[in-house]
Amino acid sequence: MGLFDDHGGGRSEQKGKGRPFAFFRAGLGGSQALQNRPILVLEDVTKFHKPDQPTLRCVNLTVERGEFVFITGPSGAGKSTLLQLIYRKQMVDDGRILFSGRDIARLTSDSVPYLRRNLGIVFQDFKVIPHWTVFENVAIALEILSMPRRLVRSRVSEALERVGLAGRGEDVTGNLSGGEQQRVAVARAIVTEPALLLADEPTGNLDPHLALDILTLFEEIHATGTTVLFATHDHTLLEERPHRIVYIDDGNVKEARKGLTDWSSTRASSQEASDARASNVVSLRAR
Amino acid sequence: MELKSAFTRAARGMREEARLHFVAISSLTIAFLCLGATLVVMTNLGHVADRWGRTARMTIFLRDGAAGEDVAQLRMALEGVPEVLSVDHVTASEAREQFLEDSAIGAELATLPADAFPASLEVQLREGAVDHSQRIAERVSGFSIVDDVETYRGWFSQLEELLELGRTASLVIALLVLFSVLFVVGNTIRLAVAGRKGEIEVMKLCGASDAFVRGPFIVEGAVQGLLSSVLSIGILLTAFLLLRGHLDATLAALAGVHTTFMHPLFVLVVLCLGTALGALGSAASLRRYLVV
Repeated sequence: MGLFDDHGGGRSEQKGKGRPFAFFRAGLGGSQALQNRPILVLEDVTKFHKPDQPTLRCVNLTVERGEFVFITGPSGAGKSTLLQLIYRKQMVDDGRILFSGRDIARLTSDSVPYLRRNLGIVFQDFKVIPHWTVFENVAIALEILSMPRRLVRSRVSEALERVGLAGRGEDVTGNLSGGEQQRVAVARAIVTEPALLLADEPTGNLDPHLALDILTLFEEIHATGTTVLFATHDHTLLEERPHRIVYIDDGNVKEARKGLTDWSSTRASSQEASDARASNVVSLRAR
Repeated sequence: MELKSAFTRAARGMREEARLHFVAISSLTIAFLCLGATLVVMTNLGHVADRWGRTARMTIFLRDGAAGEDVAQLRMALEGVPEVLSVDHVTASEAREQFLEDSAIGAELATLPADAFPASLEVQLREGAVDHSQRIAERVSGFSIVDDVETYRGWFSQLEELLELGRTASLVIALLVLFSVLFVVGNTIRLAVAGRKGEIEVMKLCGASDAFVRGPFIVEGAVQGLLSSVLSIGILLTAFLLLRGHLDATLAALAGVHTTFMHPLFVLVVLCLGTALGALGSAASLRRYLVV
């Protein structure tokens, strides 16, 4: 499977239009040069919401392919803004964001959908359509790619199975519990097998037990090769898992902990990770 | 696939917002009904004008008691004029019968005396000879048995003026219909969009293009326009068929033509206009909701 492989009808839809972002799947594939390139680079990114009071100031951040990164910080620190800049809900005021080497800020509004097709996004408020069935909520991501109906069915079933909702496709989403609705949102985000998964406080509306379940789900997805940016202000989650932590406070970004890119090996050396976690949490709290 | 998806999502949208769409279709039907009614009136006025303008005929009313010999002489003189195609002598009793037959009023006028209508010579001019009718009328007026000559030019000019007025009125009505359709469809879709803002946001965040999001709403607008124009044509046709008998009697007596429904081409135009306006109104109202 090549790095720039298309999903279903996505290619035919864009024949001759010159897409700014080829549609590529999570995991391996493509040329070695592309594989070696960081999936996301933020260079001196500044974003103002009020004049003279930047939400983000000169942020520099590099995310390697296959990494799991926690983005944390107090409420209003700019976590969501950072993610919104990546999926181009907002535009940077200064600096640039390179996604697979291409500057997001330079995209025309017509090209933004093609950027988003390479991303999976999960929100705190789930953003599922309550009166649609679970199947419809997940399938919409594939319908957008003009994927044949038969393929949509099999891919949605696969995604629902991965999030633990196998056989629930016909359920009305609004009737599900909060945790289940968030699983539907995760299934929708991963069904296209995106290269980068953005999670904006996905556990914010869930109780601690469900929050941990959802985090585990993200880790399982990460284990298949998907890069994950997980924004949360919940320190208990950070303490639980030994991933890289990027801390945002007052618009500045600090590396709070270097992550281990391979989650499975991390689990194997859990004792080591536990030690590292303890020391990192101490330094986080000290801030 | 995208078109099919747009239709599927439009069908679901219309099911979910059935009441809203019902109200919109009712309002649009009334608007199209106004346009359709105007077109029917215009079609029939056009027929009258066409008949009188194209046939170019004149009626020479004879004095009471005109001698048969004099009538025959006048008839021969007229037949000698190159612009004249035919001359028919209509006696007073024939005129009465013809009137009763055309008007279909029946018993009330059946008691009229046989000489209630003047005898006349019905002159049919050759095509393109309309301009000569006034000159022929002037020459014929010199005959002693001629009481009056009707060239219908004055009446036709009035009809032409009326028709021109009707054309202007129908243009104004068409413009009003256009704006009301855009307004009603635009507002309906805006309401539907407001109710489905969440869906639009989700689709845009999943990478849907504007065309993908717009698709079902445009289909909904087009269906609204098409359904309301079909309904209005249906209502108008039913009303026309019910009233045709009464209308025919009056119009045939006054102008000598039978009422007709609007030309099939106009029907097609109304249907296409309805569909296109619906789609256009929908597309225009969506623009500001697509920025996510």
